Amino acid sequence: MSEQTRTVRLPVMRRVLEANDDIAAATRAELALRGIFAIDLMGAPGSGKTALLEATLRALAGRRRPAVLVGDLATRRDGDRLARWCDRVVQISTGDGCHLEAMQVRDALAQLDLDGVDLLFVENVGNLICPVGFDLGQTAKVGLFSLTEGDDKAAKHPYFVAEADLLLLNKIDLAPHLSFDRAGFEADVRLLNPSVPILDISATTGEGLDAWLTWLTDR
Amino acid sequence: MLGVHEFSIAEGLAAQVLANAPAGARVREVEIRVGALRGLEPEALLMCWDSVTFGTPMAGAILQIDQRAWSITCSDCRREWTSPVPFVSCECGNATPIPSGSDELDLIAITVDEVET
Repeated sequence: MSEQTRTVRLPVMRRVLEANDDIAAATRAELALRGIFAIDLMGAPGSGKTALLEATLRALAGRRRPAVLVGDLATRRDGDRLARWCDRVVQISTGDGCHLEAMQVRDALAQLDLDGVDLLFVENVGNLICPVGFDLGQTAKVGLFSLTEGDDKAAKHPYFVAEADLLLLNKIDLAPHLSFDRAGFEADVRLLNPSVPILDISATTGEGLDAWLTWLTDR
Repeated sequence: MLGVHEFSIAEGLAAQVLANAPAGARVREVEIRVGALRGLEPEALLMCWDSVTFGTPMAGAILQIDQRAWSITCSDCRREWTSPVPFVSCECGNATPIPSGSDELDLIAITVDEVET
């Protein structure tokens, strides 16, 4: 019998990132079982993600039992900064990877003693584009903008804004020195995400952090 | 490795294609659908796809990307249309119509050469 080939089109209809999503779903279930509220903190390089976490961990000392996973391209600097305020920090070195994926979070969590932990911060790689599409198993996605980035960044990153459960606008202490159109920024956000809360904060001076801490404790 | 998320998407896609292709079949074409929200760069994905599939049964397979447009709704005149970009003005003068886009990223179908004996 001679071999013949025939060309066939096979319908599939499955998510491209199904493998990542499956791991994220398992992480989410595990965290829920343990009563851990998990935040995927995303923002541009220099927006103040690590500074925000430092201020947050300092304020939560004695009130909550947080753990932190921190994605960093090439250094241990962020992890070392955060380890001063939290005894459960795992650094995820991403090499030249531009975002975290569910497998990295799962593997980092396996290095942590989660007994008693009730809050998990995952500091994503500094990037407004790549991290958004990868589910990590978080409970909420928090997007961090800062005044120094300019007021057009919401409009330029629709996926980031649309997916956020909370937006923070950092470095408001610098407002007198910058021409940041706060109303225009919010109008762009509202077109993409009508209901997301926007909190103005300064991780450096502590201004506005109470509202952020209240949002956290209400979860 | 390229420091772009399109590389991770290409890797996920290759795994999903292999999982759904009959054993030993040569993959000729791969069809995906991408929602507007994803902001995917087709050129970057095509480049990553070639790199990821090199030396596999998917090498040379054509990647068809059905990139969905933004749906735009004017809150003043109720006109609805589609656009490749989210922030556009309406003919009626409204400078801030409402954009909406989906975040789908799905493998729709694969076309393969099956060997019949």
